[in-house]
Amino acid sequence: MTIAVMKTKAEQALTEAFEVNAAKLPGSTAVSEARRDAIGKFSASGLPHRRIEEWKYTDLRNAMKDTLAVSVDDAVKVTIADVIVALGALAHVDAHRITFVNGRYRADLSDLAGAEGIEVTPLAAALRTAPPKVAAGLTAVGAAEDAVITLNTAFMTDGAIVRIAPEASLAKPVLMVFLRAGAEGRFTAVRNVISAGEASTSTLIEAHVALPGASLEGQMNALTGLTAAKGAHVTHIKIAADFGKAVHLSNWDVTLEAHAVYRGFQYTSGQSLARNQIAVRYDGEGGKLDLSGAFLVRGTEHVDTTLVVDHAVPRCESRELFKGVLDNNGRGIFQGKIIVRPHAQKTDGKQMAQALMLSPDAEFDSKPELEIYADDVICGHGSTSAELEEDMLFYCKSRGIPDNEARALLIESFIGEALDKVEHEGVREALSTMARDWLSAAEKHK
Amino acid sequence: MAAVKETIDQVKTIDVDQYKYGFETNIESVKAPKGLDESTVRYISAKKGEPEWMLNWRLEAFARWKAMTEPTWAKVHYPKIDFQDLYYYAAPKSTEGPKSLDEVDPELLRMYEKLGVPLKEREILAGVQSTKVAVDAVFDSVSVVTTFKEELKKAGVIFCSISEAIREYPELVKKYLGSVVPQSDNFYAALNSAVFSDGSFVYVPEGVRCPMELSTYFRINEKQTGQFERTLIIADRGAHVSYLEGCTAPTRDENQLHAAVVELVALDDAEIKYSTVQNWYPGDKDGKGGIYNFVTKRGDCRGHNSKISWTQVETGSAITWKYPSCILRGDYSRGEFYSIAVSNGYQQVDSGTKMIHLGKNSSSRIISKGIAAGHSQNTYRGLVSAHRKATGVRNFTNCDSLLIGDKCGAHTVPYIEAKNSSAHFEHEATTSKISDDMLFYCMQRGLSEEEAVALVVNGFVRDVLQHLPMEFMAETQKLIGISLEGSVG
Repeated sequence: MTIAVMKTKAEQALTEAFEVNAAKLPGSTAVSEARRDAIGKFSASGLPHRRIEEWKYTDLRNAMKDTLAVSVDDAVKVTIADVIVALGALAHVDAHRITFVNGRYRADLSDLAGAEGIEVTPLAAALRTAPPKVAAGLTAVGAAEDAVITLNTAFMTDGAIVRIAPEASLAKPVLMVFLRAGAEGRFTAVRNVISAGEASTSTLIEAHVALPGASLEGQMNALTGLTAAKGAHVTHIKIAADFGKAVHLSNWDVTLEAHAVYRGFQYTSGQSLARNQIAVRYDGEGGKLDLSGAFLVRGTEHVDTTLVVDHAVPRCESRELFKGVLDNNGRGIFQGKIIVRPHAQKTDGKQMAQALMLSPDAEFDSKPELEIYADDVICGHGSTSAELEEDMLFYCKSRGIPDNEARALLIESFIGEALDKVEHEGVREALSTMARDWLSAAEKHK
Repeated sequence: MAAVKETIDQVKTIDVDQYKYGFETNIESVKAPKGLDESTVRYISAKKGEPEWMLNWRLEAFARWKAMTEPTWAKVHYPKIDFQDLYYYAAPKSTEGPKSLDEVDPELLRMYEKLGVPLKEREILAGVQSTKVAVDAVFDSVSVVTTFKEELKKAGVIFCSISEAIREYPELVKKYLGSVVPQSDNFYAALNSAVFSDGSFVYVPEGVRCPMELSTYFRINEKQTGQFERTLIIADRGAHVSYLEGCTAPTRDENQLHAAVVELVALDDAEIKYSTVQNWYPGDKDGKGGIYNFVTKRGDCRGHNSKISWTQVETGSAITWKYPSCILRGDYSRGEFYSIAVSNGYQQVDSGTKMIHLGKNSSSRIISKGIAAGHSQNTYRGLVSAHRKATGVRNFTNCDSLLIGDKCGAHTVPYIEAKNSSAHFEHEATTSKISDDMLFYCMQRGLSEEEAVALVVNGFVRDVLQHLPMEFMAETQKLIGISLEGSVG
């Protein structure tokens, strides 16, 4: 049964915004065509709603009633000092930096000096010159029917194309900063295309942060397509820490070739609405995946992590660990699907999602899924949700630790298990600091 | 080890199709005209001699059904069902109200004998069988006989067919029918509400512990018929009842529809234990024929400290679409779900449970064991939810899947919704195959591969088997062995 649904204000506005801004969006003819095709698809499907199984717990049509002005050719003044302030604890991480402000590459705020074995091109430049074949490659990412992805294709303004040379071993992480700035709230779409060459080793960090004093509103649609070639080791971290009424829609589309090792981590806090979608597909045998994340939710925030791990070939390993702390009326969602295709024998998959609820009104919805078509596999998942254990609290207090400190200690150790997955010491330290700050702010928030 | 040996022997004695209940009984029957419209509903109601209110209830359900569409979310695939190409009512001609067993068609009695269902009270009393089980036998669309009625009556327990209950105890039926599964609950429940023909009714009064196991035996015999039975069990305050249902059908090339509704109501401190051994015809080895088992089962723990426990052994049916659920409304109420779902050949199982916690300090436990072999698909689908105000809720879920062979699939789709912080939810699921080490160990000790598999599988499902009534445990072990026959090697 198909029901003709009235277009919401946001859906209408996005379609109209495309018409107004189409000429200003970067890209060759081939790219413009791909964009037009994408907005056509979006216009037909609209924003996803709870009747669509994958969006059961995040009704985007309802949650995103309004859309902000689309960010094109933004020219907000930002200095390097601003970037450092916005990065907070992350600023201490010694890294090659590529900076985007409101979805536009800023060479003046980037620093790639001394970077070897790596080639970085701003996406906008590549789109302008893209011949049809390249355009097709840049625009065909992920599930074509996903509304968030079609919106990204239609509106993407910039992003980083990162090529890591075969056998290169990057000494420093590559930090991609996506800064939200300015007094006006924007709808921003960025796309990164990362390819890690054979047997290369690299650490890539995406930081979605906002400048203090920026508008309370902002809508980010970020997509990263990543391919790890044979034997490549890639560490991929995303930090989305914002404030106000920020909306963060993110997609990772990861392909792992034979014997590639991929460690992904996502940290989310301060987002009024966040949807983190991760799709990982194995393209060659012997691939290894370790995906983890931490999400801190309070107020009426809503953070959704939805991932699909597709074991399409035999002998691959996957591990997932996601942990969330939910306070006030916060809502956390975890949907994790492991697919084991026929013939993908010797698959080893494990998944865990855990939520700690600090307030009686918090909510955690979990849907860990297994879809298995091969018999010689070991797959498992677990999901738990609970409040702080009274016994543990009592134990701490009986040792003379005051109640609030004991709570903080237990929460930190809970979230610490996820943060420990980050191997880079500097980044792990920065994340711990951010989590601690969030906790102390949570106290004040009450 | 004796059980394993027996399993193997049992396997050897069965015919090629491996379904020992595949025979057909020749009994003249009365059928409603083919197809479904308002007149079919009126026909069934008139046949049953139902009062006006019941007819209206059915018509209301039928009106709702017409506006509904078939659910498509389950991981099962089948050709579209033509609901106009079915007979909605079939009854053995000679059984229009038998007064005693002597009046029942001897052919029918022979059939039940063949199935191993005891309908003769005398035999049971003579000690042929060790424990007493009261049986309500449902053949196609009607209940043919209910045993031990008198003895149950002495204890105050009402155990009869639902048609009889509508006539004799209208107040109870009016009060509870549809109160757990409303007419418009889902597509198949609405269909059932409109055309249900028979089923069992149980009422256990306050403080009574039902003196024996109650049981219903369902048999589809007629061609091209759908079976739509409705079961309603009410345990009043402090009552206790244990109920078992079994089902079989003849071997046929066509697919037959079985859409039942089971409603359980447990009031304060009451306990209902509902066990199912479902062995409908699963289709032949190429996936031809078999029963479509689309069932809505739900229990309502309405009272404080009430308890409902579902135990199911699913080995039959071409397609199973079944989610026995508990609404834990009462404070301190408890829901349990123990399931073994075995699929082989081209069977498709999409089954699981829902534990809806509304009462404070309610708790639930889910143990599900899925075994997939051959080309079958076996899905566990479940929901555990805690209402905002249901504090102190506990749930533990464990679903394990075992895969035998590389052409089958095992899937787990749990939904876990904690809407308040004091809910403690734990969920774990694993999928694996029988480890070669285990098989090697057994075979090294002299067991054949098939014996070893049966042994491991029976070990795998033991947690659930323990919750079946004693008499059926051995039977179930055999059934599992039979269902998996041919899956090794």
